[in-house]
Amino acid sequence: MRLELGKIQIKDVQFGKETKVEGGVLYVNEEEIVNLVLEDEHIKSVKVELAKPGEETRITPVKDVIEPRVKVEGRGGIFPGVINKVTTVGEGRTHVLSGAAVVTCGKIVGFQEGIIDMSGPGADYTPFSKLNNVCLVVEPADGLLQHEYEAAVRMAGLKTAAYIGKAGANVTPDTVETFETKPLNESAVEYPNLPKVAYVYMLQTQGLLHDTYVYGVDAKKIVPTILYPTEVMDGAILSGNCVSACDKNTTYHHLNNPVIQEMYARHGKDFNFVGVIVTNENVYLADKERSSNWTAKLCKYLGLDAAIVSQEGFGNPDTDLIMNCKKIEAEGVKTVIITDEYAGRDGASQSLADADKSADAVVTGGNANEIIVLPAMKKVIGTLDFVDKIAGGFDGSLRPDGSIEAELQVITGATNELGFNKMSAVTF
Amino acid sequence: MNGILITNNPAAEKKYFGSMKTIYLENTDYIHILYSVRDKIHEGHKLLTHPLSGSVKPNQTPYKSIVISEEKGQLDFDSLKIIEDSITIAKKLLDEKPTREYSQKILDDFQLIDLDLITGGIESMRQF
Repeated sequence: MRLELGKIQIKDVQFGKETKVEGGVLYVNEEEIVNLVLEDEHIKSVKVELAKPGEETRITPVKDVIEPRVKVEGRGGIFPGVINKVTTVGEGRTHVLSGAAVVTCGKIVGFQEGIIDMSGPGADYTPFSKLNNVCLVVEPADGLLQHEYEAAVRMAGLKTAAYIGKAGANVTPDTVETFETKPLNESAVEYPNLPKVAYVYMLQTQGLLHDTYVYGVDAKKIVPTILYPTEVMDGAILSGNCVSACDKNTTYHHLNNPVIQEMYARHGKDFNFVGVIVTNENVYLADKERSSNWTAKLCKYLGLDAAIVSQEGFGNPDTDLIMNCKKIEAEGVKTVIITDEYAGRDGASQSLADADKSADAVVTGGNANEIIVLPAMKKVIGTLDFVDKIAGGFDGSLRPDGSIEAELQVITGATNELGFNKMSAVTF
Repeated sequence: MNGILITNNPAAEKKYFGSMKTIYLENTDYIHILYSVRDKIHEGHKLLTHPLSGSVKPNQTPYKSIVISEEKGQLDFDSLKIIEDSITIAKKLLDEKPTREYSQKILDDFQLIDLDLITGGIESMRQF
């Protein structure tokens, strides 16, 4: 499967009469976005606001971040099984509005989280401060239940990202990157002397505000399966995970998964990147046993020499991570695992809820318990009403002057477990 | 598979009372739910759902629902390891920053999330 990603660099976003890209500027028609979102009867109102890098703006509570993309050649459309037909994607050509994003906000539950600061110290911890963001603040219809509200916000974001993405269909990209994964036998013949390596992609799948979708399927109901890495770039994996802002994978993270990017960069040189195994992180322990058994089985079946395993979330998924690691290693396949830490404010405590001696190659995305002070911002997109109640906040988190003292947990993407951040740790 | 629900979540108790064996520990905090589950594991019950379900941390939500096996047998060391590791992590977070007081609206939301997570586990359990 071969995919060209044509990246159109977006340097600014503005409201305009027509949604289009011109001279690196993304113009969006506010009314058309509002009308699109309000097609859903579950939504009472939506406010469209723009947030640009360097502005004194705070966006919260963030639910998802989505990069606008459009398929211009090849089968299917972006976000298959949800926005477009459930056609297998990942080949042909896709245009990306690189540097732009749709950010959804909604107070689905009373304890809220997810802060993106567009400037100041908090901006350093989130990759989304560097983007030109089209923010949707979504208010539910009266009496709407939380499940329906979450689904409505999720769909509003995806629809808007697909709508904006279409503006890039006829624009000549600034760069075109090509990614190709061949069927297993062909790649083994092509690279007979390179180790075979796959990516085990663990998805958050525990329930309301903790879900992920693969081709529109609730991933808690899948058994581990194999994807071409390029399918992920076309939106085969979508986030419905809103809890734990620092280490949830937004849809933007999935589309731009840095593990996949890095593995492609080394494909054919250091190793043969044969594909992606997606698996889940369920609450029921027998589901964990089954999924980790199958993941290890698929690693063996593919004849792997090594696997990179990334986790999503805290606590419960630590058990899935270690089960995967132990069982894959027991099949004679080396692993490197990627996680983050809840190691106390000083970083000295035990980081994970599980451990095993086979987990001897670990990459961390940072310590989510670290304390940060975020200065007041001139503009708030969304609401600060719940900042005291956000995960990682505490009584007095929101100070009278509008500044916030909280743990890094509050910042969207701060300790991302795909490595889409700047923090880590090195031992010597 | 038959399980016993151990919970301090009134919404979970309300939903499952009558349809499965339930030990409702009203006015018990999060860590003491974990201790109760550990006691049951020492009695020979197996852990069926993960004690640290959800990304809402043990020092953020006051509610916890866990399912253990109805049957008793020999001490299950896998269950014991998971509950002990979970207690270590929960205690560390609670010692550093205890759970706060919340309004009823927020408590209702915490109950909803805990209920949804355990419902996913119970649905898996009831497949067979």
